[in-house]
Amino acid sequence: MSDVIEEKIKNYRTAPFDARFPNTNQTRNCFQNYLDFHRCNKALSDKGQDVAPCDWYQRVYKSLCPLSWVAKWDDQVEAGSFPGKI
Amino acid sequence: MLSTVSRQLKSHPALVPLFIFIGGGTVMSGAYLLRLAMGPHVSWNRNGNPEPWNKTEPTQQHKFYSVNMDYSKLKKEGPDF
Repeated sequence: MSDVIEEKIKNYRTAPFDARFPNTNQTRNCFQNYLDFHRCNKALSDKGQDVAPCDWYQRVYKSLCPLSWVAKWDDQVEAGSFPGKI
Repeated sequence: MLSTVSRQLKSHPALVPLFIFIGGGTVMSGAYLLRLAMGPHVSWNRNGNPEPWNKTEPTQQHKFYSVNMDYSKLKKEGPDF
């Protein structure tokens, strides 16, 4: 499973089509991948596994999200005031 | 009030198509609003069901009509955790 993901991360070009967010407004897609990246990190590190597969979500949200949003959310996560549920 | 309207309609029968079309338009817009409200992109219960769009299949079509998109070939992209 993880080498499939490794290969996908290696061949990454851009965020693929996500059927959950089919319309022009991709805000939720960006936020969902950001949440998924942090949740994946938390879940895999709690289980003691390698967190490398979570990089997929990071690549996707970095492709989709504006840099200012990512910077703001990163600051909020560090400060502990991030509004999403991680 | 309905009896007033039906009495006036009987004396002006040409107004019936007006009611038909306006009524039909109201029904159609209400039905589309209901369809949107029941969709997976809206979360009504923040504590019980916070992200209903994550419970759908990767191949499920959420749009009403989509052009040039083969939904059967899609798969879940990210890793499970």
